[in-house]
Amino acid sequence: MKFKKLLFLAVFIASCSPSKPIPPNTLVIGIESGPKLLDPRFATDAISSKITSLIYPGLFKRNKNLGLVPNLAASVELIDEKTYLIKLKEGVKFHNGKELTAMDVLYTYQSIISPDSKSPKRSALEKIDKIEINRKYSLTIKLKEPHAPFIANLTIGIIPAGSKELTKKPIGAGPFRFVSYKRGSMLALKKNENYFGGAPKLDGLIFKILPDETVRLLELKKGNVHLVSNPITPSVIPWLEKQASLKIEKEKGTNVSYIGFNMNDPVLKNLKVRKAIAHAVNRHAIAKHIMKNLVSETESLITPSNKYFNGKLKKLKYDPALSRKLLDEAGYPKKADGEPRFKLVYKTSKNPTRKKIAEIFGEQLRQVGIELEIKSFEWGTFFSDIKSGNFQLYSLTWVGIADPDIYHYIFHSKSVPPDGANRGHYKNYLVDQLLESGRREMDPRKRKIIYDEVQSIIAEDFPYVHLWLSVNVAAMSRQVKGFEIYPDESLDSLKRVTLEGGR
Amino acid sequence: MRSWLIRRLFLLFPTLFGVITCVFLMIHLIPGDPVEIMLGETAVAADKELLRHQLGLDKPIATQYILYLGNLLKGDIGSSIHTQEPVFDEIISRWPATAELAVAALFFAILFSVPLGILSAAKKDSVVDRGSLFLSLFGIAMPNFWLGPLLIIVFSIWLGWFPVSGRGGFLSVILPAITLGTAMAAILLRLTRSSILEVADEDFIRAARARGQNEFLVYSKHALSNALLPVVTIVGLQLGALLSGAVITETIFSWPGIGRLMIESIEARDYPMVQGCMLSIATCYVVVNFLTDLLYASLDPRIRLNR
Repeated sequence: MKFKKLLFLAVFIASCSPSKPIPPNTLVIGIESGPKLLDPRFATDAISSKITSLIYPGLFKRNKNLGLVPNLAASVELIDEKTYLIKLKEGVKFHNGKELTAMDVLYTYQSIISPDSKSPKRSALEKIDKIEINRKYSLTIKLKEPHAPFIANLTIGIIPAGSKELTKKPIGAGPFRFVSYKRGSMLALKKNENYFGGAPKLDGLIFKILPDETVRLLELKKGNVHLVSNPITPSVIPWLEKQASLKIEKEKGTNVSYIGFNMNDPVLKNLKVRKAIAHAVNRHAIAKHIMKNLVSETESLITPSNKYFNGKLKKLKYDPALSRKLLDEAGYPKKADGEPRFKLVYKTSKNPTRKKIAEIFGEQLRQVGIELEIKSFEWGTFFSDIKSGNFQLYSLTWVGIADPDIYHYIFHSKSVPPDGANRGHYKNYLVDQLLESGRREMDPRKRKIIYDEVQSIIAEDFPYVHLWLSVNVAAMSRQVKGFEIYPDESLDSLKRVTLEGGR
Repeated sequence: MRSWLIRRLFLLFPTLFGVITCVFLMIHLIPGDPVEIMLGETAVAADKELLRHQLGLDKPIATQYILYLGNLLKGDIGSSIHTQEPVFDEIISRWPATAELAVAALFFAILFSVPLGILSAAKKDSVVDRGSLFLSLFGIAMPNFWLGPLLIIVFSIWLGWFPVSGRGGFLSVILPAITLGTAMAAILLRLTRSSILEVADEDFIRAARARGQNEFLVYSKHALSNALLPVVTIVGLQLGALLSGAVITETIFSWPGIGRLMIESIEARDYPMVQGCMLSIATCYVVVNFLTDLLYASLDPRIRLNR
């Protein structure tokens, strides 16, 4: 009898949580983890940034070629090297019906710059000296010093003046407005009828949080989810391509994987050794067999569609014979009894694909007489070792590179952690000079010449072995029309997407 | 009895205190920095320092620990570093999902294993018995992260009987419950069988048979009630395993429970949230063990709780 009562209780508890069908004309997107925050001033993780940019547009946005184009801004004018005059589009309304004016822009930026803001984006705006409102739709931003990459920071979403906490009730002026967010489960948005760029064709979006990749893809196959984009493990692509109800789209991305060297290491400070390692690595084989061609080999951190990409870089060739010769010249001759020339430690994270790649590197380097010991760590441990310079070789990926000023952060001799990400302690006086002038140079053509030079020096100095550029993949139901993959994974095209059949 | 109860209740506190201390030390000692994770790589050092100060993470660990304990005594388990939301609210919002899953898994395990265990004891060395041995070995050997997707492919994709993932309605809990409960069911199956066999030769069983009761009643009434004690012990102990298994099962089935919350918080180095999750899981574990002890007494009147 007791047992029956308990059984009844269990059934009762289980049936308490209601299940809701998908509303019509609503696109369901499977995502790995939920956004942490829905406030554009604080959101930094990938998914928070993607979703907040649908809710809160900024003054500018990046187009498919990573160029900056006006969004809320109508025009921008450079008064002098340090002063920008920005005019806003008129008549733009927030989701709460209030008009978006220069006051809101001022408030957004000030609440980021203010000392007690805790905003991770403060350093992006710290070059601002002052902001002045000229008229309702016009403002002037004065910088402390000329800083060419500055304008890229004006992609931060604009919030209504006076907003305090926005994660619970986000209000922006974007194509989609916030409906609800159930942490760990799903987030719902609906279309903004009054969007200044024209109302989206979809009635709404649902972001369904599905942490397990297999399940994410099974939900897609089953039709409960319409769209899944990065990350998709390369090895499942062949399976996805066989599914008649799905289509796969690919586009070169902005994430560059590389092997980093510690330049303070007695063996690796020798350029010939670094060059030998670079020529011993067969990137093509890994790209083809492990990454299933979901990557494209590269010699630069800049993606080819970016206007700052140097198209004349020499392609790094797989050449074990040259590698052996370089090692001989570097003073590490081949040993008779099959002993390695020297031993190195390679650190990587626990990610299975990365571990597999590490093992292949190990085998490839063994071919030229270098023994590679592979150590893989949980992410936090691994990353803290890399930052503190506790490594010989490691491999990582730079995510979302758009402006070439990133080279300052990665290779300027003053950018050693914690002030930057020059983790291998690379020092080159010429590169330092070029990177500093690149920051001050406002003329895009002159800037391009500077960064072309930087890219070619880095490609010859080998502080990194550039491995490959990510290819962004999206798998979607054939019902989905008009979805475009952006190099920076922006979901901007969702406002144009239609769903055939309405479900 | 009452004094025993009070003593036992007081013993809960040092256990929880130990858990709090261990978790505090572990999460603070493993490498990884919440400020780094929040601000991202490109933040400047001064901003990181400021945020670290604002969050109180620049104080020595001992000071942070004492502050944490002080707040805990006041009933405040803190706010998430990332979202600034109270840890308590977040945990409370996640527990119903985990409780639903754990209870359903427990029911699956018991409903599956106890009848089959009795049957294989009654039909010792028969085909049924061999079959149940195979099932239990299979169940214990199968990892959650493999069984879960397998069940989804068969029952959701091919047969279309259950939703693939997510929490919503009675049907959605069935596959996660089977995934989570299988290992426990396998253990209980073997245990029930051997406990029943142990009492099968006792005098009271023979007496029941001599009274002419049918075999079903002999086993389900007389043998089972005497064989249940070890089963209850294991159920109590296994509940901890069930909760830790829930971490994986919740991830596979996108089940918004406490296990998922904890994994996400560990990855984000959200110290207060991890501590809160662990504290709530430990409390649950300790309370279940306590209740198991109480249940002993009602199952076997020879056990006196006031010893």
